[in-house]
Amino acid sequence: MSAGRGDQPEPADRPDGRDQPDRDDQPDGHDHGDAGDQSGVGGHPDRSDRADRAAPFAAALAALPGAGPVVLEQILRDWTPEDAWRRILDGRLARPRPPTGLVEEQPDFGLPGASRSRSGSGPYAVGASEAGPSWQQVARRVDPRAWWARHAAAGIGVTWAGRPDYPAALVDDPERPGVLFWRGDLGHLARPCVAVVGTRRATHDGRSVAFELGRDLAAAGICVVSGLALGIDGAAHAGALSVASCSSATGPAGIAASGVDVPYPRRHAGLWEQVVSSGVMLSETLPGRPPHAWRFPARNRIIAGLAALVVVVESHAGGGSLITADAAIARGIEVRVVPGPVHSSASAGSNQLLYDGPGPVRNAQDVLDALGIFNDSGATSPRPRTPPGSRQSHPGARMPPAPGPAGRQGRPDLGSRAASLGREATAVLDAVGWQPTLLSQVVDRTGLSVGAASQTLDTLEATGLVSREESWWVRSSDR
Amino acid sequence: VLASVPSAILIGVHGTPISVEVHVSPGIPSFTVVGLPDASCREARDRVRAAMLSSGLQWPQRRVTVNLAPTGVRKSGAGLDLPIAVALLAADGQLRVEAVAGFAFIGELGLDGSIRGVPGVLPLVDAVRAARVVVPARCAREAALVRPDSVRAAPSLRSLVAIVRGEEGWPRLDLDPPGVAADAAGPDLSDVRGQALGRLAVEVAAAGGHHLLLVGPPGAGKTMLAERVPGLLPPLELKQAIEVTRIHSAAGVALPPGILIRRPPMRAPHHSASPVALIGGGSTLMRPGELSCAHHGVLFLDELGEFPSDVLDTLRQPLEEGHVLVCRARASVLFPARVLLVAAMNACPCGREGGPGSCRCRDAARFRYAARVSGPLLDRFDLRVMVDRPDVAELLAVEQTDRPMVESTEVVARRVAAARSLAAGRGMSCNAALPSDRLDEVAPLQPAARRLLETRLRQGRLSARGLHRVRRVARTLADLVGREGPLTLDDVCSALALRADVFGAEDGTR
Repeated sequence: MSAGRGDQPEPADRPDGRDQPDRDDQPDGHDHGDAGDQSGVGGHPDRSDRADRAAPFAAALAALPGAGPVVLEQILRDWTPEDAWRRILDGRLARPRPPTGLVEEQPDFGLPGASRSRSGSGPYAVGASEAGPSWQQVARRVDPRAWWARHAAAGIGVTWAGRPDYPAALVDDPERPGVLFWRGDLGHLARPCVAVVGTRRATHDGRSVAFELGRDLAAAGICVVSGLALGIDGAAHAGALSVASCSSATGPAGIAASGVDVPYPRRHAGLWEQVVSSGVMLSETLPGRPPHAWRFPARNRIIAGLAALVVVVESHAGGGSLITADAAIARGIEVRVVPGPVHSSASAGSNQLLYDGPGPVRNAQDVLDALGIFNDSGATSPRPRTPPGSRQSHPGARMPPAPGPAGRQGRPDLGSRAASLGREATAVLDAVGWQPTLLSQVVDRTGLSVGAASQTLDTLEATGLVSREESWWVRSSDR
Repeated sequence: VLASVPSAILIGVHGTPISVEVHVSPGIPSFTVVGLPDASCREARDRVRAAMLSSGLQWPQRRVTVNLAPTGVRKSGAGLDLPIAVALLAADGQLRVEAVAGFAFIGELGLDGSIRGVPGVLPLVDAVRAARVVVPARCAREAALVRPDSVRAAPSLRSLVAIVRGEEGWPRLDLDPPGVAADAAGPDLSDVRGQALGRLAVEVAAAGGHHLLLVGPPGAGKTMLAERVPGLLPPLELKQAIEVTRIHSAAGVALPPGILIRRPPMRAPHHSASPVALIGGGSTLMRPGELSCAHHGVLFLDELGEFPSDVLDTLRQPLEEGHVLVCRARASVLFPARVLLVAAMNACPCGREGGPGSCRCRDAARFRYAARVSGPLLDRFDLRVMVDRPDVAELLAVEQTDRPMVESTEVVARRVAAARSLAAGRGMSCNAALPSDRLDEVAPLQPAARRLLETRLRQGRLSARGLHRVRRVARTLADLVGREGPLTLDDVCSALALRADVFGAEDGTR
């Protein structure tokens, strides 16, 4: 019983799932025989069950004080979760002296005893003995299986490097997450992944670009990876979810800085649950935990690591999405940028990035071209990260029911609708321009009366040539 | 031994008649003031004594009791100095009681015996129960506004005593306003470059009495537009002018040289104003607040988002009722408060310039800022207009060249007056006061206009209450072009455009 949800992906959907030997049982030749006596680990003959039996221990390791991504990764590289836990109980595996400068998160097993044990812990940089309870003390007080059972019942899964459902793209990542908690269906990550990231303080245009990218990429069978933040991230997810009912579409992957059951930002709680039900939410943060500030850049590295290509839609100078882009570049993952208006401060960082090298993309087709996926020809060959089969279907069927982006077909009517407009409408369209514009500016620029200008804007909005956000008008692409 | 002199004290913006009774009897010399005097009133004893001695009069070395009747009302201020002195002189026999009969007295005494002005002379004179009233010389013109024939003035206690004793005559009062200096007209609308929408908004606000909210970045000209609203309003009628002058007099606001306030006043309190300063009140003296000082004029709240939200919310009920009832344990006072509210604020704390996405504020800060203006208050604004800095070309354009002639305050004010007279013809002070049950009669809709409103309602972009407000504004727009009859699509469209979606508030509902 891995996730306790109806959508359990592994046994049914994944051809590479259960029939492979569980690698976490293999290395080091540790003896599992005595584990059951001491901590109730192992002793079961069924190997696939054993992987799930290890899950509580993997999760419990992540809950230890000072067990950050780096420490976890090191532990799980050397031992299986059960082994590591047993070693901790024996006192053979102690808390490593941490790198300085990090603030530790408190051990949180949600147990009364455990919560009381937090009090003494201070900054992570303090020696283990002064920083609070040792791992052994904490481990002795906790029953990982009972603790984890609650989370598992809530549909939360855990995976770690070495497990077959661990995202393939992260296996060779230089900073791979030791443990990943997830909700939803990890199978979506087997599709080619494209990260769509950008600023939280996005313009209307940026959000609509992100929405269209998310929608059209998802419809083309791409897994849209993003951080569920306000602005661009959320718009990309919303776009991907808008075609989720399409059988051919791939659900999005959301990478969180908080626990997978702690929607953040709270305004995106609804979106969050939709991602869980249609795609997958991932986080290396323990369930139930709010996000620490340092988790966000750490989360960004996972977004970059998962993606075959990172698209930056809009970023202020020094924005967090540039961290994602940097992480991608450091991993040799391709980065593309959606160009923005030169005067727009929301595009200052992304335009700088564009200037520095990565090429531009205008729409989903450009992204697919960059990935080498030829959508229209039907000769689809996504990056072979996964064995072909299960989720693949005909690209022709991947078109969303809604009208697709114009650029895809290079339609010739670009501007033709604008050309058929009357004199007043043309003047208003020119006055609005591509930057957010107020009615008062339109009136001043055109010299029309307030009534005429606002009537014309309403008409243009109805035809989709301009769009409105609060009191601001902006031209939409001519399609 | 006993003398009684009528006078008045100020409660709110109205005077209350008071009788000052002085009893002088043999005994150990003493001076007691009874009848709920406050500190400034009790100090009258020392001022009166010094003034009498300076004026060559005698301080009675007897037991003196001053009673301020009715005793249940708290007395405040120095305006009772003069009646106390006169009553004391009469009771002491230095003046004949019959000689002061029929006179009321109002005035503060200086230590040298001079008679000084007090605030609120206009309402005080209105209230006193006496055939003639003596006021400080510099307040004579103000007093003459309400009782031109019965006002007398004296420069000092010494000359007043001489007049009462019959040694001198009353000095002639100079009641003609000095050189009928028209009240400053205020800044002109033709100074505003561009801003056609903002210009229309102030015109509609003035014509229909619709409250106006201007939202935009610093330097967009919000304050500039707001300051031009009073100039567009018609001059006050005599009754209104006296009402306004009475309030300003009571509040101690400096009156214009012509005393009578003929132009609609504009008050612009700073955003640090307390609720009491805005609404009126106070512990002893119930003083009218800025809201009442803007009665029949414009209350301009600049940087609306910086006002504490509890201060702003105190405005909600007075804006609806046109008056404010301030209640304290000792007294309740009704202050008039029929104002045109004009407010200006930034769209967010950083004053974003370029629309969505260019703002540097944290999301939470932006919501907090917008939340200062509560939904109900936002709903009071029939006109909500987003303005931005004018284009550079517009700023630099010279009058003669490519810029269309901009209308001056005079031209627009004429239209406003015409529109207001149309509204008055329907029996309303202004269109903003149009009751909703008369909307179908006064503001019927042409079919196209009705369809547009129906669409907006169905889209949820307009609420039922918003619908009423839009129709009122549309009525004003039609009145401004002098068109009676059903409202056109253009009227309704403009009215909707003047009700912008600020702070993501569709129609006042967040």
